[in-house]
Amino acid sequence: MTTPTTPGIRKAVIVGGNRIPFARTGGAYAHSSNQDMLTAALDGLVARFGLAGEQIGEVAAGAVLKHSRDFNLTREAVLGSALAATTPAYDLQQACATGMEAVIGLSNKIKLGQIDSAIAGGVDSASDAPIAVSEGLRAILLDLNRAKTTGQKLKTLSRIRPKDLSPDAPSTGEPRTGLSMGEHQALTTAQWKISREAQDELALASHKNLAAAYDRNFFDDLLTPFRGLSRDSNLRADSSMEKLAKLKPVFGKSLGDAATMTAGNSTPLTDGASTVLLASEEWAAARELPILADVVDGEAGAVDFVHGKDGLLMAPAFAVPRLLARNGLTLADFDYFEIHEAFAGTVLSTLAAWEDEEFGITRLGLDGAFGSIDRSKLNVNGSSLAAGHPFAATGGRLIATLAKMLHERGQVDGRPARGLISVCAAGGQGVVAILEAR
Amino acid sequence: MTAETLLTEMPSLSKLYVNAAATAAKSRLVRAEPVLALPARAIEVRGVSADLAKVTEFAHLMGEPARDVLPSGYLHALVFPVAMSVMVQEDFPLPLLGMIHLRNEVEHLAPVLFSDELSVRAWARDLTGHRSGTQVQIVAEIHNADGTELLWRGVSTYLAKGVFLPGLDKPTTAAARVDFIPPAPTAQWRLGVDTGRAYAAVSGDFNPIHLSVLSAKALGLRRSIAHGMYAAARVLATVPQSKPDTFCWDIAFDSPMFLPATVSLEVVDHRTDDGAWLRSVFTAWDARTARKYFNGSVSAGRSVID
Repeated sequence: MTTPTTPGIRKAVIVGGNRIPFARTGGAYAHSSNQDMLTAALDGLVARFGLAGEQIGEVAAGAVLKHSRDFNLTREAVLGSALAATTPAYDLQQACATGMEAVIGLSNKIKLGQIDSAIAGGVDSASDAPIAVSEGLRAILLDLNRAKTTGQKLKTLSRIRPKDLSPDAPSTGEPRTGLSMGEHQALTTAQWKISREAQDELALASHKNLAAAYDRNFFDDLLTPFRGLSRDSNLRADSSMEKLAKLKPVFGKSLGDAATMTAGNSTPLTDGASTVLLASEEWAAARELPILADVVDGEAGAVDFVHGKDGLLMAPAFAVPRLLARNGLTLADFDYFEIHEAFAGTVLSTLAAWEDEEFGITRLGLDGAFGSIDRSKLNVNGSSLAAGHPFAATGGRLIATLAKMLHERGQVDGRPARGLISVCAAGGQGVVAILEAR
Repeated sequence: MTAETLLTEMPSLSKLYVNAAATAAKSRLVRAEPVLALPARAIEVRGVSADLAKVTEFAHLMGEPARDVLPSGYLHALVFPVAMSVMVQEDFPLPLLGMIHLRNEVEHLAPVLFSDELSVRAWARDLTGHRSGTQVQIVAEIHNADGTELLWRGVSTYLAKGVFLPGLDKPTTAAARVDFIPPAPTAQWRLGVDTGRAYAAVSGDFNPIHLSVLSAKALGLRRSIAHGMYAAARVLATVPQSKPDTFCWDIAFDSPMFLPATVSLEVVDHRTDDGAWLRSVFTAWDARTARKYFNGSVSAGRSVID
């Protein structure tokens, strides 16, 4: 079987990353656009690695909540940066997995020799979200544009009703179920019998780990301050189990006593942007740039959450076993796990599924449970519950963070330190990847 | 400068415009002898900082990403009230209202961040004759908080049309007018009638000649006109692609941009053999009549102009 690590296919490496601190919606970046934030993250990356005037092979980034005028968001960010204007760019979007897919797609182009360098990124603003006119008004305005005579125009305008004037704001609801992401996860959390305490513990660990990482300056070369922020504004270093226990459930309230998901163990809406510099080994060496990690392999997955029995955010539970099988690895072969904390319940449901024998046999087609992970290897520098989650920017944050951790760790038992990233996404999707230390 | 006036806070532009109107009326009645020299003092304001919400609106109006580094045009807007204060002093020889903006020369010596505390100084210099009146330069400087490091410097040249002060040299004949033949445009701006109001809102410069047809007519113009600094700031939003720490630019205005307007623009980049940006030269004209609006340049490094 040919895999992306087959001899003859060259390596794609992670040189480094740069993001701006993530801000809770309506906070420091309330008036910043996606363009502002992506440009700020890109400017910082260009400055950190001396890329001014450099023609990069390709830049790919995206936003989940995007204005229609930003159809070329990434290319516009390149044109506003110090990169050579001859650097091509494209926008992509795979919900919360946008950043991950950008990294994997560009890495594959590098592995194939189509490009030698690339920048992957993502940005999202829940503050500066696009608001559209209602469907009724939109139809009338388009007809008005087509009307030729004054009479036709007046007749078209007369169709406007008061209800047409209320705008359409984007929501995190799933179009096919009408349920928000939180409501979906609440069902999954209950299905896997994840306790309130376990979720609060994971949330607390996220805040403590992220705060500790900031305190030892771990993020100094991964982050550029923006708009006066130098740390993620959602971070609560002084959080405690007592404080988290006081919060009332916000999702799954119809479940009664089984309602366990609070604002403390769910990620808040967040604004922010991230970028990752990828390269071939030769390109990085020629510029004397560091190499933190290899992008070994990646896998996308999806579940039938509409009609099937899997939760909306459970796709990684299937994608990871496939990815590991292709690479001849088990969970025991990893030194770090970065499982995106959309909700504490998402991480814990995924781990529970992997530890469940029946799930392993009937759903994954294995002889037993897929396996369990050493929790001391999980999200060791904090994750989305503490940092926040600007949808498309999370992949870039995870990739750069893990690459740096792996590089610092170096070798483990005579092999390069290895890390797994798992990101769930709206639409019942997920993208997962393996990185190895350099 | 022999003396300095230190203001305790940023002057209000709206009050300055009202004062300018009052001074204009008073000087017509009271002032028997014209003032022939510029006031020797500079006006300084300390503890100045950017309004982040305004910076963001300013950058977005110009179509550029709002960064932590302040756009050049915003810095001009930031110092403008101090520059205006120079021109509304009792002993300033020219009337502020109705002055025509001829030129700007600006130098960036270091990036200015929105979070920086700044001090701003402005003074007048070079009162000279012009074939159609008298011109003066207003120099404005932005320093760091304690005034020890110069960060930004702008020289604006204004013309008081029809004001002739005795004893000032002036060229006796008009410079030969060169016919303007428009080059192929590289960009086009469609400026709506609200362009002046939109720029006034982000810059604070509510000069009536920019706001509406009526207010412009009150000051003798046939329609409202776009701010010259709007044009400069809009060019600078995309030229050069990425701003070096040290750069300079200049712009000279030939004719007012009556609103609405369709502006054709040509930008020509000059680069080293390695492709590094050195300089861009720009020219703008009325897309319909080919009448020239303005021209200028942006260059890497410090200005060679005094």
